[in-house]
Amino acid sequence: MHGPDIQWYVILAALLFSTGALGVMVRRNPLIILLSVEIMLNAANLLLIAFARLHGREDGQIFAISVMAVAASEVVVGLGMIVAMGRRNVELDVDKLRTLRG
Amino acid sequence: MKAAAWICLLLPLASALAITLGGTTVSRRVAGYISTVTTMGSFAAAVVAFVQMLDQSAGHRGHVTTSWTWLAAGPYHFGLSLLVDQLSVVMMLIVAGVSSLIIAYSVGYMDGEAEERRYFAYMSLFVFSMLLLVQSGNLLLLLAGWGMVGLSSYLLIGFHQERPSAVAAAKKAFVMNAFGDATMVLALFLLVQHTGRLDFAGVFAASPHGGAVANLIALGLLGGALAKSAQLPLHTWLPDAMEGPTPVSALIHAATMVTAGVYLIVRCHPLFENAYVIQDLAAGLGAATILMAGLIALVQTDIKRVIAYSTMSQIGYMFVGAGIGAYPNAIFHLMTHAFFKALLFLAAGIAIHAVVGEQDIRKLAGIGKLMPQTRAVFLVGSLALVGIFPFAGFFSKDSILSAALDRGTFGVIVYAAGMVGAFLTGLYTFRLFFIVFTGEPTPFAREHFHRHHGQEGPLSMRWTVGVLAALSLVGGLLQFAPLWHPLSTWLGPIERPLAEPTNWQEWGSSILAIAVGLAGIAVAWAIYAAGRARAPRALPLLERKFYWDELYDLLWYRSGDLVARGFYALVERPLVAGSLSALTAGFGVGSREVGRAQNGLVRSYVLALAGGLAVLAVVFLSVR
Repeated sequence: MHGPDIQWYVILAALLFSTGALGVMVRRNPLIILLSVEIMLNAANLLLIAFARLHGREDGQIFAISVMAVAASEVVVGLGMIVAMGRRNVELDVDKLRTLRG
Repeated sequence: MKAAAWICLLLPLASALAITLGGTTVSRRVAGYISTVTTMGSFAAAVVAFVQMLDQSAGHRGHVTTSWTWLAAGPYHFGLSLLVDQLSVVMMLIVAGVSSLIIAYSVGYMDGEAEERRYFAYMSLFVFSMLLLVQSGNLLLLLAGWGMVGLSSYLLIGFHQERPSAVAAAKKAFVMNAFGDATMVLALFLLVQHTGRLDFAGVFAASPHGGAVANLIALGLLGGALAKSAQLPLHTWLPDAMEGPTPVSALIHAATMVTAGVYLIVRCHPLFENAYVIQDLAAGLGAATILMAGLIALVQTDIKRVIAYSTMSQIGYMFVGAGIGAYPNAIFHLMTHAFFKALLFLAAGIAIHAVVGEQDIRKLAGIGKLMPQTRAVFLVGSLALVGIFPFAGFFSKDSILSAALDRGTFGVIVYAAGMVGAFLTGLYTFRLFFIVFTGEPTPFAREHFHRHHGQEGPLSMRWTVGVLAALSLVGGLLQFAPLWHPLSTWLGPIERPLAEPTNWQEWGSSILAIAVGLAGIAVAWAIYAAGRARAPRALPLLERKFYWDELYDLLWYRSGDLVARGFYALVERPLVAGSLSALTAGFGVGSREVGRAQNGLVRSYVLALAGGLAVLAVVFLSVR
């Protein structure tokens, strides 16, 4: 088998996931949060593909493609909402959007 | 004979079902005829059974016929079985005979009532239940009949369901009877435990002699008998039961159902003889009831209530008879009492009917002048009740009293009570007679009196009363102990009496009883007819009926109410209601606190997710 060992993939995926999670937690712009979520999803995809290659099976790749399709639809909805908010002059700050507060 | 017994039992049931299921396709008048004809059919079947029994030898007259096993539980089998023997055939004749007369009377009395069909269906149901009671071959079936006569009594007391007082009286009767039923059921449990069976012959052979168990069994049965027969201390329902229509009072609350207690004691006499203390208690309570009911009857102003108290008092005599072991005499008095008490009620019913339902003797006073025939039959009934020769009560009541003389000191005490009771009977019976049937009619009576096509009442009411008057006149001649005693001989093989008075006790006691009864009549005449003596003021003690109702109110209702209030204040409000409100308040506070975590900040949600994930990761790793 060519290429780096599996642990490098896992470390990279962990770094990417942490970056995304941190972004979701600390940033307030919904656009950036959406981006960070994408990074987290792709960290997961990377792991799926890496382990699929390790085990020599293709179901991991199928999962990754499904995740990409779901992520694409999610981005469409999310971006649509953000554009709509921008059109209505709603401030793009998730801390201000607190109507769901209990 | 077995076929005749089944026909006798089932005809009234068929009538009740036909009237009920027929609904409005059966006209009111036809419902009355169906009921009358089927009950007469029952009587005919009873006569057939009696005649067939006459052909058999004295020792072989008891027959048990079982149609099928009614109830099987483990080793216990209780059949739907009838017992036809000398005692039950006598009871069948009395019940079916008197019932058919009274139901025939009802056709006239109830004419025009809104719900005649319901009335006749109930009456047929009652006759069926009563026949089941007297014909049943085991105690379980007897209990079924016992409960069903209670039900019919409840339904008929509350027949005028639009009157709150009638509904209250029906409830009272039902509750008092349920108490007696409960004690009886407990006695049956004991019998099943100790003998394993409930058929009469088996129970009598195997039941324990003496001891606490025998006493408890007899006491339980006595409780049922006291409640059903309205004896002390379970008597308070009977006067109120007069809310029912008059024929109902005559049939159920005078002639048949209330004497079921006497039948029970006589039928189960081996059980009572095994517990002689309880048997003496029955006689003692009967004697006490004679005196108490006689005293209360002196001051009542409702014509039916006076007769009701006299019923209680007369059943007291029967209890004395059954309690001292003079079983044939008790059954004899049961029979003659059925005749003359039904006669008194039905004659009173004619008077009440003629003045549109008025029952107060002060308003009815003097109505006898307008109704000479009714006055004549009422006089016959009164003389029979007081026990004046040659009317029926003379033969039956005196034979019970003279038998008491054969039972030692206790018997003498009971005898004295019975004699005082005989004086009171003369007094209250003729107080009623002199007030209502002699003297000048009151303006009220003149105004409201109306004739029925020129007669004192409809034909169906007059002929039945006539038959009962004839029976009250000659029915007693069936047996006069010193000279002839066919009834005692007939019942002898199964009801061996414990008390056999000597001839002189019979003669002496009879003469004394007549003298005492005549003295009572004389006092009543002096006070209420001739006006020579001033009527004594009524004691509040008597007017309030010895405060029994108040006592029971205090003992059961008020104490129960007090306990319930206490539980409400001490248990329900602090514990039940308190714990519930604390629970809801706790949930309110908890949900408000949990709700605070939902602050609407996406960051905090993500932090919670990440934190949870971290905790899970640590947990899983450390567990490994």
